[in-house]
Order: sequence, then structure tokens, then C-alpha cells
Amino acid sequence: MSGVLSPAAHTVAVLLDDALVTLNRAFGVLRRRNVPVEGLALHPSGTAGVSRLTFVVKADAATADRVAQQFHKMIGVRSVMVLANEDSTMEAKR
Amino acid sequence: MSEMLSGAEILCRALVDAGVDVIFGYPGGAIMPFYHALPDHPQLRHILVRHEQAAAHAADGYARASGRVGVCVATSGPGATNLVTGLAAAHMDNSPVVAITGQVSRPMIGRDAFQETDIIGITLPITKQNYQVQDVTELADVVAEAMAVAVAGRPGPVLIDVPKDVQNQKVEYRGATTTAGATQVPRAGARGQSPTPGASPGSVEDGVRQAARLIKGADRPLLMVGHGVILAEAYAEVRALAEKTGIPVITTLLGISGFPDGHPLHLGMPGMHGEVHVNRAIQNADVIIGIGLRFDDRVTGNTASFAPQARIIHIDLDRSEIGKNVPVAVGIVGDARDVTRRLVAAVEPRRCERWVEHIRGFVRTRTESYRGDLSPEAILASIYEASHGDCTIVTDVGQHQMWVAKLYPYQRPNTHITSGGLGAMGFAVPAAMGVHLARPNGTVWAISGDGGFQMNMAEMATMVQEGLPVKMAVFNNGYLGMVRQWQQFFHEKRYSCTPIWSPDYVKLAEAYSIPGYRVKDASELADVVGRANAQPGPALVEFLIEQEANVFPMIPPGGSLSEPIEAAPAGAAGD
Repeated sequence: MSGVLSPAAHTVAVLLDDALVTLNRAFGVLRRRNVPVEGLALHPSGTAGVSRLTFVVKADAATADRVAQQFHKMIGVRSVMVLANEDSTMEAKR
Repeated sequence: MSEMLSGAEILCRALVDAGVDVIFGYPGGAIMPFYHALPDHPQLRHILVRHEQAAAHAADGYARASGRVGVCVATSGPGATNLVTGLAAAHMDNSPVVAITGQVSRPMIGRDAFQETDIIGITLPITKQNYQVQDVTELADVVAEAMAVAVAGRPGPVLIDVPKDVQNQKVEYRGATTTAGATQVPRAGARGQSPTPGASPGSVEDGVRQAARLIKGADRPLLMVGHGVILAEAYAEVRALAEKTGIPVITTLLGISGFPDGHPLHLGMPGMHGEVHVNRAIQNADVIIGIGLRFDDRVTGNTASFAPQARIIHIDLDRSEIGKNVPVAVGIVGDARDVTRRLVAAVEPRRCERWVEHIRGFVRTRTESYRGDLSPEAILASIYEASHGDCTIVTDVGQHQMWVAKLYPYQRPNTHITSGGLGAMGFAVPAAMGVHLARPNGTVWAISGDGGFQMNMAEMATMVQEGLPVKMAVFNNGYLGMVRQWQQFFHEKRYSCTPIWSPDYVKLAEAYSIPGYRVKDASELADVVGRANAQPGPALVEFLIEQEANVFPMIPPGGSLSEPIEAAPAGAAGD
């Protein structure tokens, strides 16, 4: 299985406007694209008017990248970062 | 010099300033200030539709035919919710539409006021962006930005919700202060728009070089072109690529008319109702160059068995499309015209004669019989003849849509308009009104089945009142034909709720003071269709076609392109 080579979980961090409509749209993307999400969190970013949305995608790198691309094209999103979760193979076995 | 204007007047001014010349709409309580201001702006021609869904489809048709933003207007509540199907269709097919909705006054929002709906919430997943204007000072900028967002990059619909008290608010008017784009001053809810967002998988130059190398080494290459070619007007570039390399060309449903029918390299439409030789070509190809398409499931069938031998080069403006539906060997993010032009320069001239000959060997001929010899092919040929091959065809959804896609000999770019992604029945008649307004000197035929026509046939009144000379063709088989076909093939021929009664369309047309005709036999076609086509105003022609005709071949839903159904299953009558 590819899961052995590629971490089965990735953390995605999205910097975006903290306008309610932008956040609503962001959550909508996760829901409607059927993204396997865990551990959703919303924090202030340190910059006024900007929030940081982080979540864990229980999927391989290619899937996480496709999720990131959906955010990249959203108006109101400033940046998107994808990080492989090092211990995710362990998590996947749980 | 500045002046005091109401929000409604600013809305009108901003639309005029953005170059809008026609809007489709329907008045109501929460949008009345806008309608009060409208007569003072004669540059904005307003088309009064009979249902807001038609306003959205008409704006979509206008946008697809003109390449400019189509604008529709509705009141709050039911007016706004009636736009939803039209906006979803525009979203699925990347059509730049701006919808303006009235909203209850700000102090009433959230109190379940009369005709209040959360249209922002409702349209979030079917718009590129939407705005609720909370302050009249933002209004001109929001309109300018919405118009820019709708056409920027991959086009799509944008909604602007304007509370009634904002429409009535007076403010000093200075025009839009920003022009939307990469350099604009960021405003909440509107940042981050750039034409090529996100990390690109390598540069365009690298991608083009790799693609040229793959093409050079390919034995059985194919070009598959979609709506992106029409949106980017990459006709000459795609043709140059095909002719320099001899690679045969497949046009998806929304790519039809992006490459001329009858060109020796044109194969036809792929997918669920693609001809056998087109799908066989895909299944045998070793390299596929996809330009401006998203490898939709109606194109690929089961993706696990799609083009099993092919390495795919995917050119798309939207980075998120690369690898979304099918694995891609080379992904190039960019405008179809720009990337194809570079690819033409990078590829070495070659021929694919043996491969084209091989594909020709896959061609199947079918013989089907039709009542009164009234075959779809004969009907479409009569429209082609009557219009001298110079008209825009707008289709609805279902069997007739597939017949038109497969059989109409499109020669001119962007003359085939249909609801592809959403597959919205009722699209053709209102969208054709928009097409006429975008191309007032051309002929427009709206082709529908008897089901889809009855969904929006009230728009005949709009055509009469507004002077829109749309020619309507109704393929009447007394069934919801495509659903009936599925019932015949996959549901034991149980025709549950698919027989559909129609009014007397000739009398109906007469009631709307439109000339109406009925064709029962192929021998009447040339005369009747010719007369309808020559009418100065709208006209309607009903074609009484074979009741249980089917669209062949057919790939069962979720099936492989290698396994088409080419005849009705045993025991199922009708063919």
C-alpha cells in the first residue's frame, strides 16, 4: 500500500481573511469536497483581520495537495501550507 | 465633480461603467429602489423574464455567446432562490454571470423577515464569490470587483446581495475607486485572487518541453479539447497543433465547435454517448493531450479503466483540476491559448496516418428506423440548411442534446451552447434569449425535448414582449426520453412517470402570437423549417419523432469506455 511510503495524514494550514463569509466558504469546501478531516482548529494569526485555519487530512500527499489547491483558488485565502504528519503511519494503525 | 446618489442609482451607474448593456430580471419588494432608478439609465436594457431561473440562464447564455459578463437581477427570498439553478449551471460550466439580489433592510436581517432568505449562504458553493453590501460607500467598488472576478481566470458566477435600505442610502458618488485585480487594495472577503493561484508543478516551459517529448515518442496520440479552448478562443492554436502533428482531435460536449466538424482530423465527442470509434481511440491511445477539460465522469466512464495505455498531458487554467479525476503524467497550468501556442512551437512536425487509419477501422455504422423518416439527423440537417450553416444552436438536456452534439455539423467557433456540467433541463429557451442579445444579427435556434421545453416555455411571452426572435424546436416523443431510455436499459423497461403529456404546441404558439408549426414527416422538413427560420420574430416548430428512439451507443453509468451498448437489450422493444 502507498500508505507505508507516504504518510497517511497531512496537516493543512490556511491563512485567510477572518470575514465570516470567507470562513463559511472555507468550511464549505471541506464539506462539499468530501475531505476526510480531523482536528479542525481556527486561531488568530497574529495579523489583524487574518485567521489561521488548520486541520488534519487523513489521506496521502496527493489528496492533501488537491485539498490545498481548492483553497489556493479561493478568494480571501492568503496562503496554504501542507505538512506531512510524521507519526501518521502509527496513527493509521490505531 | 461628485454628487449625492442613492445606492440604487450607484448600482445602475456602476453597471453602466462596467460596460453592461443588458440585464435580465424580475422586480419585487426588496429590489424596488433599483427598479425605480433603472429608467434613468437607458443604457441598461432590461429584459423582463417570466421566472428568475430564466433570468439566470439568459445571463449565462449571453455570457457564453459574448465572452462578457451576463447580469441578472432578482428580489429577495423567492426571487433570489429561483436564481439558484441558473447560477449552479453557470458555475459548473464556468460562465461569467453576475447576479444582483435585493435583500431585506439591514435591521431586519436575521429576523426571518418577509421574503428574507440567506442567499449568501445558499449560493456559497455555486459561486466564485459573493458579497452582501453592508455600506453604500462600498457598493461601486463591489460591483466593479464582482464584474472582474466573474471573468478573471477560470470564469464563474458572482452574487451581490444588496439590502433595501442600502439601495435607499444616499452618499456622495465618486465612482469605483479600485479596479479589481492583483494590485488592488485588499478588502475583506476579496483578497487572494490571482489568475494562476497556487504552486505550479514546475514551470510552463518545463511542462511544454516534456509534453513535446511525449508527443514525439507517441505512436497513438490523441488531442482532447474542452470548454477551455472556447473560453480562451484557442481555436487557431489547437488547429495548428493538430495539423502540425497529424494528431486526431476529440471535442467534449462543451468543446464542440472548438474544432471544425468535418476536418479530416476531427473524431467527434467522447464518453457516455460518444461514437464507438472515439472511445476506442481513447482506450488505445498511448498519449492524450487534454486541453481545457476536466475529465468529467461522463467523458471518462469508470476512471479505473479509462485510457489504460495512455500517459496524459493535462493543460488547464485551474491548478486544482490537474490530477483531480485522472492521473496525469504532465500537468501544465495556464491559459489554453497561450500554452497551446507554445506547444505548437515546441513540437516537431509529424504525421499519424497509420493511427488515424487504425481509428477509422473502429467506425461502426448503425441502421435505425424512424417514424415518418423523421430522424434527428434529418431534422438537424434541415436547420443547418435553412440557416445556411450560420446560426447558434442552444440545446437543453437529454436525448436531443446528445443527437445535436453528435450529428450537427458545427463549423464556426462557439456556436454550440448547452448546459453540460449541471445538465439543467429548461436551459435552452431562456439561454437562447441571452444568446440572441449577445449576437443580435445572428440566428439562434433553441432545441429542446418536450420535457425541458415545458419547464421554461413561459419565456415565449418574454420573447414577444421584448422582441427576441428565438427559433424554437421541440423534439416531441411523448416521453422524458433519456430517462425512459435508462428505464428501458437498466430498469426492466418499467416506464415509471416518463410518459409526458404535451399541450398542442401549435395552438400554444398561437396563444402567444407566435407562428407555430408541426412536422410529422421528413418530406415537410425543408419547407417548414425554412419558413420558421425566415420569420422576423420568434417561431416554434414541433417535431413528432419516434417515441422510443434511443441514443446509441451508450456506456452504462460507471462502466468502461471499452464496453458500449450498441442495441437495446433483448426483450426491450422499441428499436
